[in-house]
Amino acid sequence: MSPRRNPWIGVVLWLALALPPVRHALEATMTLQMLVQIPLLAFAGWCMAAFMPRRWIDAAAAWNRSGISGFVLASLAAIVWMLPRMLDAALDAPSVEITKFVSVPLLIGAPLKISWPRAGFVVRGVFLVEVIAMAIRLGWLYLVSPVRLCSNYLLSDQQQLGRIMLGIGAAICLLLAWKLVWGRIDVDAARDR
Amino acid sequence: MASLTMYPDDERLAGGTRTAFNLYIITAVALFVLMMLVGLTMRMAQAKWLDVPPDLFYELLSMHGAGMVGTMALVTTAVMWFFLRKYVRLHLWAFVANYVLFLLGALCIIVSIFVGGYGALWTFLYPLPVHGVGMWTGDWSALFLVGYLLIGVGSLLFYLDAAAAIIKVHGNLGRALGLQWLFGGTIDQNHPKAVVASTMVIIANSLGILAGAVVLVMSLINIFYPQVVLNALVAKNLIYWFGHMYINATIYMGVIAVYELLPRYTGKPYPISRPFLWSWAVSTVFVVIVFPHHLLMDFAQPRWLAIVGQVVSWGAGFPVFLVTAYGALTNIYHSNIRWTMPSRLMILSMFGWAAGIVPAILDGTIRINSVMHNTQWVPGHFHFYILLGVLAMALALMFHEIGSRANAPPNSGTDRLGFPVYLVGGLIFVFGFLDGGRVSVPRRMAEHLQAWTFTDKIGSVGAILVVLAMLYFAIRIIVGLLKPPSPSPGVAGVGTTNAAG
Repeated sequence: MSPRRNPWIGVVLWLALALPPVRHALEATMTLQMLVQIPLLAFAGWCMAAFMPRRWIDAAAAWNRSGISGFVLASLAAIVWMLPRMLDAALDAPSVEITKFVSVPLLIGAPLKISWPRAGFVVRGVFLVEVIAMAIRLGWLYLVSPVRLCSNYLLSDQQQLGRIMLGIGAAICLLLAWKLVWGRIDVDAARDR
Repeated sequence: MASLTMYPDDERLAGGTRTAFNLYIITAVALFVLMMLVGLTMRMAQAKWLDVPPDLFYELLSMHGAGMVGTMALVTTAVMWFFLRKYVRLHLWAFVANYVLFLLGALCIIVSIFVGGYGALWTFLYPLPVHGVGMWTGDWSALFLVGYLLIGVGSLLFYLDAAAAIIKVHGNLGRALGLQWLFGGTIDQNHPKAVVASTMVIIANSLGILAGAVVLVMSLINIFYPQVVLNALVAKNLIYWFGHMYINATIYMGVIAVYELLPRYTGKPYPISRPFLWSWAVSTVFVVIVFPHHLLMDFAQPRWLAIVGQVVSWGAGFPVFLVTAYGALTNIYHSNIRWTMPSRLMILSMFGWAAGIVPAILDGTIRINSVMHNTQWVPGHFHFYILLGVLAMALALMFHEIGSRANAPPNSGTDRLGFPVYLVGGLIFVFGFLDGGRVSVPRRMAEHLQAWTFTDKIGSVGAILVVLAMLYFAIRIIVGLLKPPSPSPGVAGVGTTNAAG
């Protein structure tokens, strides 16, 4: 059952992530919080975007040409949740934790879901190149940072996250290169609207 | 297969496309003259004919390097766009966006250098930008790097638009490169060489720009948060991955002009072949991994990476160059080619490319590199292939295009005088560098010992001739482009090529 057909998958996922045992498990390490919990929250938002009434999306379309505004909104929100200080604060302050559980689905997942079909090849390309570059930059930063960036996590955890992010950046890059050179790409499917 | 019609209808520029193309070319030739004057000033300062303070020298060197690389990329992008748009549907907005972002980036670079005093050269090697020792502050270095980011984003937008257009026609970039014909099958003779070359550039240079996007932002972070100390060797690898790829891509964009125009001047078809496709496929991989040859003197560089740099250096330039030069020579052979400015410049570009890569291949050899790399041998190499190779390719298109106004390629008496001045001046200029390298004159030095000044003076004389020729070319091209286009569609065939402009 695809998330498109059943946005309740997003609701179930969001509720599951909010369960204390799951939440504590996924926040036990910096790597899990950043690379599992936050992406899953964004995915929940992606699924739940289908709840949004069509007329709301249509009304916003004039401000979301080619999905650019949606990508910018998602990027700005993602920048906040890339900051180690925010990862720390989410553990220390319930208000920040609630903000995370609301803002990541609402400001990252849902805008991406709404904007992706509107984006043309160029907009998607710029976004993906920046995703790769940002994964490598953050990975590098976490690796070379001389101090622990989160008081709740160990330096070794931070460095492990750095290595994994470098790997993720390289993997996405290779995957995209493979797809572009040998894959089947329908450029018109990504039509500017 | 490329058209044999001298000025085919599908190349005609009108309205917005004409304005955009003219803006690219006029900006480029004006910048070339200015940057050449900057280069001449530095050469004359080294020859002790001019008194240039060292801090100003390094500002000029930074401006010359960044300016020439950027302008060469700008003008060869125009070459790629001019021909590629015949085969795939490019969007004018992407071409214009690249131009606007280039101008904004150039503005940042100019201000950072001449207002802020930035002098850490175009390669912004970490950690030099943050060590201005009172000459400049980190803020000005940051502005310089932001300028690069803007230029890189512009290039990326253009490449993504071109990639989308190519994929729409050919399915994917592999098929556009002709990979399906490498091991067999009948090659479609209508598969455009412009598409093959453009695809290679899109793949290789996008990866280079990605490397640049990483290292530029990391350098910015280091400027504002010095506690984050970067691994200098990793940063240097990424800088040269980006920098080498960016300037190297210009020749692969520029050569499209030769593929498209040469058959029109020889009147002979220039068929696509399996060796041609193999050479571009191999070069697509090699140009991406050749950059370690810039780090052969870095003792900390892993040995295997240095070996990759050497081996790939020997192979990277050869496949495409050999196939192109051989193809061009066979195309000229028994062709009754008409010697006008575009055809002269195209043949010059083949020579400039051929001769210009020889010093690079030598320098790409570890044993030779350890002696020659910090000498003027290296500027001798890159000035050779850029001045007499890449720029000649771009000039060929410019002269060809201004000929469209009269439906005849330009070949005036002044053109015939300007060409040898450019050629002879260029050769004197580059051999000044190469001979300087031979006698171990170091490069990138503001102050030269008296014993080094002989080759500096020779180089300066050559540079004066080049500047004079380029000044003439620039005026000729700008005036030519601003003339109203020919009222009738270009129906002039091969037979009209002997008409002097």
